[in-house]
Amino acid sequence: MLDREATMAKLLLIEDDRETAEEIIAELVEHGFAVDWAATGIEGLDKARSGDPDAMIVDRLLPGMDGLTIVEALRQEHVRTPVLVLSALAAVDDRVRGLRAGGDDYLTKPFELVELIARIEALLRRPAETRDTKLRVGPLELDLIERTATRGDRSIDLLPREFRLLEYMMRRKDQMLTRAMLLEEVWNYKFVPQTNLVDVHMGRLRRKVDEPHELPMIHNVRGVGFILRAPA
Amino acid sequence: MYAASDSFSVPLPDLARTTTFRWTLVVGSAFAAFTLMLVAIVYERTERFLTARSDGVVTQQARVLSASEPDKRLDRIDWHLAQDPRAVQYVGLFAADGHRIAGNLARVPADLQIDGPAQQVMVPIGPGPSDEQLVRGIGRRLSDGSVLVIGRKIDEGAELTKIVAQTLALGLFPALCMSIVAGALLSRRAQRRVEEVNERVRRIVAGDFRERLPTRGVGDPFDQLAGSVNGMLDRIETLIHEIAGVGDDIAHDLRTPLTRVRVGLERGRANSRTLAEAQAAFDRAIGGLDQALAIVTALLRIAEIEHSQRFAGFSRVALARIVREVCDLYEPIAEEKGVKVRVQASGEPVVHGDRDLLLEAIANLVDNAVKFTPAGGHVELALLDRAGDCAVRISDTGPGISEDEREIVLRRFYRSDRSRQTQGVGLGLSLVAAIVKLHGFRLNMSAGPHCVVEIICPRA
Repeated sequence: MLDREATMAKLLLIEDDRETAEEIIAELVEHGFAVDWAATGIEGLDKARSGDPDAMIVDRLLPGMDGLTIVEALRQEHVRTPVLVLSALAAVDDRVRGLRAGGDDYLTKPFELVELIARIEALLRRPAETRDTKLRVGPLELDLIERTATRGDRSIDLLPREFRLLEYMMRRKDQMLTRAMLLEEVWNYKFVPQTNLVDVHMGRLRRKVDEPHELPMIHNVRGVGFILRAPA
Repeated sequence: MYAASDSFSVPLPDLARTTTFRWTLVVGSAFAAFTLMLVAIVYERTERFLTARSDGVVTQQARVLSASEPDKRLDRIDWHLAQDPRAVQYVGLFAADGHRIAGNLARVPADLQIDGPAQQVMVPIGPGPSDEQLVRGIGRRLSDGSVLVIGRKIDEGAELTKIVAQTLALGLFPALCMSIVAGALLSRRAQRRVEEVNERVRRIVAGDFRERLPTRGVGDPFDQLAGSVNGMLDRIETLIHEIAGVGDDIAHDLRTPLTRVRVGLERGRANSRTLAEAQAAFDRAIGGLDQALAIVTALLRIAEIEHSQRFAGFSRVALARIVREVCDLYEPIAEEKGVKVRVQASGEPVVHGDRDLLLEAIANLVDNAVKFTPAGGHVELALLDRAGDCAVRISDTGPGISEDEREIVLRRFYRSDRSRQTQGVGLGLSLVAAIVKLHGFRLNMSAGPHCVVEIICPRA
């Protein structure tokens, strides 16, 4: 489940609440990240410039400062370090502002730690924007021009929405994809519905991709999300 | 509204500070100054007129007496003086050497210019140097060398001054007094209204939100202001009640999952013998807390949408596309339940709105429809492109809602008894209502079986 390639990636966490910070750090360290912590915006900005982290987690509500100010300052200095913005401000406007200020992703408090980990891993491994018109993961092949999918010799008949979902997952193979991420990215759906929409969609895709006699490629990680992996 | 008995309840120093009173004083002073000026002009004009008349009289008399024959002249002078009951006439005929021949003047006045026009001059009327009288006088040298002096007392000016002073005393002073009194009355009336308003506002500030400002029903500006403020207070009162209601709802709906979590954790702590059992208890607790958090999140979202005044995120939104997206999203879920989803989109209506929010609203309605429709039924999503408006209609073959439920179903947190057994926190429709309201659209909901909900978007 863990992304081994991201192991020992250096993260910078800018969060003023010690207790929250400790929880987050413990979880990140457990997942193999090296974490540096800054409790104030000034300290955070210093560490972001000097420490050269691989990714940053920035809380918006810092004492006397909006975390977005840090992001904006860094972006002006052409520092492209990926930033995940954390916020208790859930409004759509706030989210848009967060992303416009240069944040790469926006996570609203309260959040599940697994969601945070999944998003950090996603940030560290931006999808390969390949110009190739065919995506391949193990025996699975997706032809973006012909709009066809095959697994080995077997051709898979996909509905357009299933094709979109599979394409998204293949571009992010071996990566944990949470329900919220899938809703946001695949369906452009910015709120979490009550019904288990994603599970149903994923269930249907899975039945088509993984037939009973085949080794499964789409894995459901309980309580977290889904991963697409080439069969071992 | 105001009893006359509590007049003079305002102390005078306070009164003097009121704007109305000050203005009355200013206007009163201006009025007085204007009156004084008017009287001064009248006085000056009248005096000039009287002087001119006196001059005319003495000149005429001098001409008549000069022209009369010398032997009749003395008789004429005597007759002239005899015809003067008011004793304003002075005549003197003096020989060339200054010796008095006739008349009631003692000497030729020193300052009088002989053969000049009528002038103001002191004429001697007795032997002493102080026996003098101010007159309009004229002197004429006659053909025999004698000097004729005619004078006319001008104490009419003094009379006039007296009359003017009386006029002022009788007219201006009472008018001034009256204006001050009127000012005092008016300002006290205004002051009392302000006082009353102040008193009521103090009560409102102290927490009595049912208090209202007094109105007299006469529609004056003060009444209109009070009316506007009362309208504002009505709105605030409603909002406070709503907030209080929401607070109660939150407390109630949060208490259920939180109590469940607490009980679950207690039992898990007491009864778990293995790690797996403890973990199962934790999972249930996390599930319960998630439910509580979902309620809070939904409430915050409703509040955010309801209070959103920013339409910066609005743009042209193609409804057909949203309808297709929602259908795409919910079709598999409906199919799993054995419910068919149909889409009927006519035309390509475009509205001005927030794409994400409209998607959320329509998705919520479809979510509900799918949830409440039993297997074998169907949900229809229709896009109606009509002449005056366009509408998104979601209809299902579920149990629908009753007439009574229709209104309250849109209120926050309400869940009809049926829906309590179905997953969801009962905020979906409130959220839809808030989004629809923000866009200035209308929400229609049919009562009776087979729920039909319409979001009606008027043409911009």
